Amino acid sequence: MRTKGFAKHYYFMLAPGFVWLILFSIVPMFGIVIAFQNYNPGQGVFGSEFIGLETFKYMFTLNDTMNVFYNTIFIAIMKIIGNLIVPLVFALMLNEVRYMGLKRSIQTIVYLPHFLSWVILGGVLLDIFAYQGPVNQMLGAFGVDPVLFFGRADLFPFLVIGSDIWKEFGFNTIIYLAALTGINPALYEAAGIDGANRLKMLWHVTLPGIRTTAVLLAVLSLGNVLNAGFDQIFNLYNPLVYSTGDIIDTWVYRAGLLNLQYELATAVGLLKSVVGFILISLSYYLAYKFTNYRIF
Amino acid sequence: MKVNKSVWGFLAIIFILLLVACSNEETATDKEETDNSTTKSTEPADPFGKYEETITIAIGQEVDPSDTSLQDGDTPLDNQYTRHVMENLNIEVEHAFTASPSNYDQKVSLAIASNDLPDAMVVGPVELRQMVEADQIADLTEVYENYASPAIKEIIDSSNGVALDSVTFDGKIMALPNSQAGADGVHNLWIRQDWLDKLGLEPPETIEELKEVAKAFVEQDPDGNGADDTIGLAGPDTSNKLYANFIESTNNLYGFDGIFSALHAYPGYWLEGDDGSPVYGSILPETKEALEVLREMYSEGLIDPEMGVREDSGESIISGNTGMFFGPFWMPYGPLTDAVKTNPDANWQSYALPLDSNGEYTPHLSTTTTQFVVVRKDYEHPEAAMKILNNLLANESEFDPSIGGPGYYPLRLVYAPADEMEVTTVALREVLAGTKQPEDFYDMPAYKLLKSDVDTIFDVKLEPYDNMAIQYWDIENHLGQWTRAYSALVGTAPLVDTEINGVKSLIYSQTKTMEDRWVNLKKLEDETFLKIIMGTEPLDSFDQFVEDWKQQGGEQITNEVAEAVQ
Repeated sequence: MRTKGFAKHYYFMLAPGFVWLILFSIVPMFGIVIAFQNYNPGQGVFGSEFIGLETFKYMFTLNDTMNVFYNTIFIAIMKIIGNLIVPLVFALMLNEVRYMGLKRSIQTIVYLPHFLSWVILGGVLLDIFAYQGPVNQMLGAFGVDPVLFFGRADLFPFLVIGSDIWKEFGFNTIIYLAALTGINPALYEAAGIDGANRLKMLWHVTLPGIRTTAVLLAVLSLGNVLNAGFDQIFNLYNPLVYSTGDIIDTWVYRAGLLNLQYELATAVGLLKSVVGFILISLSYYLAYKFTNYRIF
Repeated sequence: MKVNKSVWGFLAIIFILLLVACSNEETATDKEETDNSTTKSTEPADPFGKYEETITIAIGQEVDPSDTSLQDGDTPLDNQYTRHVMENLNIEVEHAFTASPSNYDQKVSLAIASNDLPDAMVVGPVELRQMVEADQIADLTEVYENYASPAIKEIIDSSNGVALDSVTFDGKIMALPNSQAGADGVHNLWIRQDWLDKLGLEPPETIEELKEVAKAFVEQDPDGNGADDTIGLAGPDTSNKLYANFIESTNNLYGFDGIFSALHAYPGYWLEGDDGSPVYGSILPETKEALEVLREMYSEGLIDPEMGVREDSGESIISGNTGMFFGPFWMPYGPLTDAVKTNPDANWQSYALPLDSNGEYTPHLSTTTTQFVVVRKDYEHPEAAMKILNNLLANESEFDPSIGGPGYYPLRLVYAPADEMEVTTVALREVLAGTKQPEDFYDMPAYKLLKSDVDTIFDVKLEPYDNMAIQYWDIENHLGQWTRAYSALVGTAPLVDTEINGVKSLIYSQTKTMEDRWVNLKKLEDETFLKIIMGTEPLDSFDQFVEDWKQQGGEQITNEVAEAVQ
């Protein structure tokens, strides 16, 4: 390929994304200043009084701070693990289905929820798990007392994790299936001639064949290690489950937008970014070390 | 090298474009501001004066998407109210934003935070304070003095200075306060009288009796459908509170206000302690006792098991599953209209119950002023907001709520004499009893709906005129009037017939430290109490709450309240 005919149109195609990035990701970074100010919206970022680290001191006296950090990391990591393993297993099982029509229909059905927003799914889930909803009626048939699922702080994180995996696994399955079709059939034939059974083929041909995809998905999802899913939790939670279900994003939303505590919300948001940055750098390094895979 | 240069050139272009876009916007607003400062309003001070040229006002408005009252072809921006404002005042109303009731506060907060304000909007006390400090809103001292209609001034003065005090900062009137009927702040017991009658029960006078009634409602299948689907006492949904508090002292739906009050617990209120200094009601032992009662009721299944999780507790009232709830007099404007439409036998009656151990009714009382109209600084016609409100109070009885609910009136604030509902109830009773004629009540302009109330009462009330049970009303004939009359004759009746030994909060506004700390203290309180009632935390976590509350700023706030009260 020659560099002389420099492809300007590539850069034009890149432009909208670039503008978006600058406007919504880079410019807002200057808002971090608010965390160190007694922010006054009438005077804006430039006119507000500077108060140093006071907000951070107050932040660490709050019971909530550590709690929401813990919730966020717990829910996010469980989601990442679940969203890697479940679709992988499902894709491997689906791959063994020989009847094409069945395979296709299952594939389509399981990834439908991916296209529904949490506003809709939230309402559906609340109804399904309601006190007199279908799940409790089923439990009732076995003589179990009805459970107020979305009022139970101990169950809430698992409902969140479970429903998120249920919503997303179909979509990730497709990525794995695509990777599976990319494996050269000759490898399976060769393995068969060497006397490998189905299980051995899975272990020695299939899994190594999609390892890169799995690692890629894992590394990409690490970027979300502190994003436990605002829209999902926001549509499902209530004050009863704040203790285990409240995550940084929902907390910041309530503090900053509902309760006008701009400094505190910004400070927590900033802390999230710092911790997130460290975690992502670390996991990126680990991914490189163990699989020799890097994005940059 | 060449490639690199192109990349940098490309980046530079993008940055320049961005800069140009941003600076364009700034020059535009600068220009606007200079324009504003040069135009001075030259209108003479006439509270109802019509502008010679049409002016526009961009407002933030609450629009309930489930409200279907607008007649065909009307919109939130084009209806009987906006047309009236246009014709009488020559003011064109525009929307800077609209939001559903549950999202309105959030939209307001967003507007404040981004400093992107509508010309005028309705806000609460917390937002008002915030905007005054941010210097975002106009000084309305002159507007109020020159343009407020005599009727509005009379109502505001009737609050003994409370209304004006709440909007006065450094001697300047920064917002237009509302003044609402005291009945908004008393939360009566609403009960399915038909269920009581069917089970042979009496309205519960005490907490013990209330428990018995709730138990009967839950266990004895009062709706007779053979299914175990009834709720004794409704609980708060996600948009309501366990009890009204000093900042939001009115209109709490499905809370437990009545139970707390009957036990002389006033959580959320600032009370006078034994030594005379202020103390916060939520940390007193009475509140713990009341929580224990509620906790037992919940564990026995007498309270809606899904309280706190439900999106809308009104739904189970409409569907006929709920037997009792606490709410203000205007509940017919809420779920009860739909409830009787669904089931014409749903005979909801209201009582000033339960009573305390001395047999007295001791509810908490509200402040008269909870909502404010603010005007953006630099808006060139600040008096327009005042005129719109003057126009509302002067003409409210002309509007027909059945072709567009009152909420569609732009910048609507409630202006009502504190005893509006009680006076209405008494007047309607006298007209029904024949002791007075409707004409006797025509000359009371401050009671703006009274004339239409007494004129139309015979359209909706059937004989016998002294029996308020649901079967003696003609709902079909005029739903809008039924709502109003039922709210008066049923909803407000207990307030007229009962001697009320109410409790007021020492203050109804925030202090300095509350601005930063209150939200988290309140969250601590709400979460702890909800969990204690629902049994996920032991009752004694109350003591831990009291300690935490004091430590995390409560003590400091108590001192501030003491200073403010002096």
